[in-house]
Amino acid sequence: MTWNYQNGARIFSKNLRVYLFSSGKNEHEIEKIISELEDHLMEAEKDGKDVEHLIGQSPKEYMEQLAGEMAFDLKGLLKYIPVLLIGVYAYILLGNAVQGGIEYSLLKVIGDLTIFIIMMTLFAGSFKYVASHTLSKTKERILFFLLGSIPVGLFVGLMFLDKTVDTPSIEFNPLGNAITIGLCILIFIAISIWSKTWVSIIVPAILYLPEVFLRMTPLDKEIQMIVSMVIMFGGLFLYFFLVNKQEKIR
Amino acid sequence: MSTSQILKGILEGCLLSIISEGETYGYEITEKLNNRGLTMISEGSIYPVLLRLKREGLVETTKKQVPSGGPKRKYYRLTEQGFEELEIFKEKWTVISNGVNQLMKGD
Repeated sequence: MTWNYQNGARIFSKNLRVYLFSSGKNEHEIEKIISELEDHLMEAEKDGKDVEHLIGQSPKEYMEQLAGEMAFDLKGLLKYIPVLLIGVYAYILLGNAVQGGIEYSLLKVIGDLTIFIIMMTLFAGSFKYVASHTLSKTKERILFFLLGSIPVGLFVGLMFLDKTVDTPSIEFNPLGNAITIGLCILIFIAISIWSKTWVSIIVPAILYLPEVFLRMTPLDKEIQMIVSMVIMFGGLFLYFFLVNKQEKIR
Repeated sequence: MSTSQILKGILEGCLLSIISEGETYGYEITEKLNNRGLTMISEGSIYPVLLRLKREGLVETTKKQVPSGGPKRKYYRLTEQGFEELEIFKEKWTVISNGVNQLMKGD
């Protein structure tokens, strides 16, 4: 592996940040060690040394060594997980409410939570893996594609299980649905303000709004479905394309 | 056995000794190690050790403005406990190095 200095240093600090963050380390501690390492890399550059001088042969081993000396930040994690959990439930409930009313069984409540925990673990593991290994762009894309399709598979599986196994369930009346929709929208706005990004508003909007508006049109059910799918995927693609482009400019 | 395994414990003692010479920072520490011929240590391996020394209360750190500008730099200094630990290391090291030296000479 050859490092072009500036690129190498930048990639290394980016990857280290992802690795330590996915390992549940304290954000403040992470920034402290990274700024110290960046100071080192700047000095080393003046002496004509590259990143390999700092990290040795294996980025993975080096990241592990650093992570091993940093405490697991439970307090920090407890700050993020409830927010994420509320966000995921708001997302699921809004989907159900928009698509003809919420009917929630005990099995689904537990199942959703289980899927959430599985996915959190898988995502953290994959981020750590990608950050500490040099993967080709193609391999990285395949990995994240697979990772993205796992929850879809799990949710579909849960749906079928829910249809065959009978557990206590509640069905919301129209007022309940309306209140839920309002609450979910408020939650998305709150998360957006908290995280200072638009993503928690834009993604649900792209996913659910087309369906809502199309239902008001006199179009055929099938055509409605196809059009909303096209808008959904087109919208998501466009959004991520624009975000990606903006990041590159930065 | 890899060099890094042999050096792991020793490195802690070396860092304590270098920092005991006076306030210093990461890159300078690696230069001082290099000057003593300890070039087999990859420069980055001092940082996990520094994190450990800090956690164990053997060193304390201060942030200072660098004359050349740029972000503040972290400087290390031994604590009282750090100096004590250095003395303990020196005693142990004398015993170990004497023994190993004798063995390696094939006595």
